[in-house]
Amino acid sequence: MAVDLSMPVLVVDDYKTMIRIIRNLLKQLGFNDVDDAADGTEAFEKLQKKQYGLVISDWNMEPMTGYELLKQVRSDETLGKTPFIMVTAESKTENVIAAKKAGVSNYIVKPFNAQTLQSKIAAVFGD
Amino acid sequence: MSKPSTSALSDETRTSATGDKSTGTKETSLIDILSMTEDSVASLKSALKHFDGSIYKEFRAIAEQINQTKTEISKLGINGLQPDRIPEAGRELQAVVDATEEATNQIMECAETIMTADPSSPATYHNIINDNIMMIFEACSFQDITGQRISKVVETLSYIDKRVNQFADTLESRDPSLENRHFDEEEARAAERKRDLLLNGPQLDDVGVSQDDIDQLFA
Repeated sequence: MAVDLSMPVLVVDDYKTMIRIIRNLLKQLGFNDVDDAADGTEAFEKLQKKQYGLVISDWNMEPMTGYELLKQVRSDETLGKTPFIMVTAESKTENVIAAKKAGVSNYIVKPFNAQTLQSKIAAVFGD
Repeated sequence: MSKPSTSALSDETRTSATGDKSTGTKETSLIDILSMTEDSVASLKSALKHFDGSIYKEFRAIAEQINQTKTEISKLGINGLQPDRIPEAGRELQAVVDATEEATNQIMECAETIMTADPSSPATYHNIINDNIMMIFEACSFQDITGQRISKVVETLSYIDKRVNQFADTLESRDPSLENRHFDEEEARAAERKRDLLLNGPQLDDVGVSQDDIDQLFA
């Protein structure tokens, strides 16, 4: 399945700078419909209001973490299959394994570059 | 110390406990106090006769331990630590956060300006790129200052770590069963949340897994 550059993407991070970086990288990659949320709770509300083609989320956020958001998304009947990439500084093996068990589509360790983001998005969509 | 005999005291010594001679009211005199003290000491002496010598030794040991603890606490230099070092370390870290945020914003603004610059006029385009690249270089100078600030914080942490460890060693107060005990309920809740939600934070280069390792897990 080819990556649809027109699909809405939701970026979830509690650091505005990080959102700005990912937004700019996505823009460079050709994605123009990019929304953002500051934590899992806000993200889940947005996911229920708009159909996103991809969620890119940080792990460590308050009050709802990216890991909790992932589990909530996966347990939701409507949102359950939304592609979900974790972009995080959490680089312990236990984090990666837990995220994989919870159904994460791919996992990127910060700091990362545009090429890594591009390749992981492509991998999620089978390109 | 020799105790004064009540009979040897002059009239002048028979001043009331309040120091007021003119009121005429009956008040406890110094003589009365001394007399009561004599009685108390006498009864205490008789009580102490019943104490075992080992209890006395225990009290001596406790007194020595208290003195040693006081000496160790004074060696910690807590008086110098509280008003200066810890608040200063906090201010240094906040300054690092502010400086990195400011620099990041400046760099991103420059990059966004370059990204959206109109290339139709080569001369203008060239100037925009040059100006913004110079501003990026300037913004990167934050690293030198923040590096120095962080070194000061590391120094403070080492200062505290060294003294606390020395203190614990001297008092032989290390108890492995207390290592995971929390200071209060709030700290316990935060620790539980971190554990349950795997909030480990960034790992050092040689500790965390690399992107290549992760890619293998997802292959």
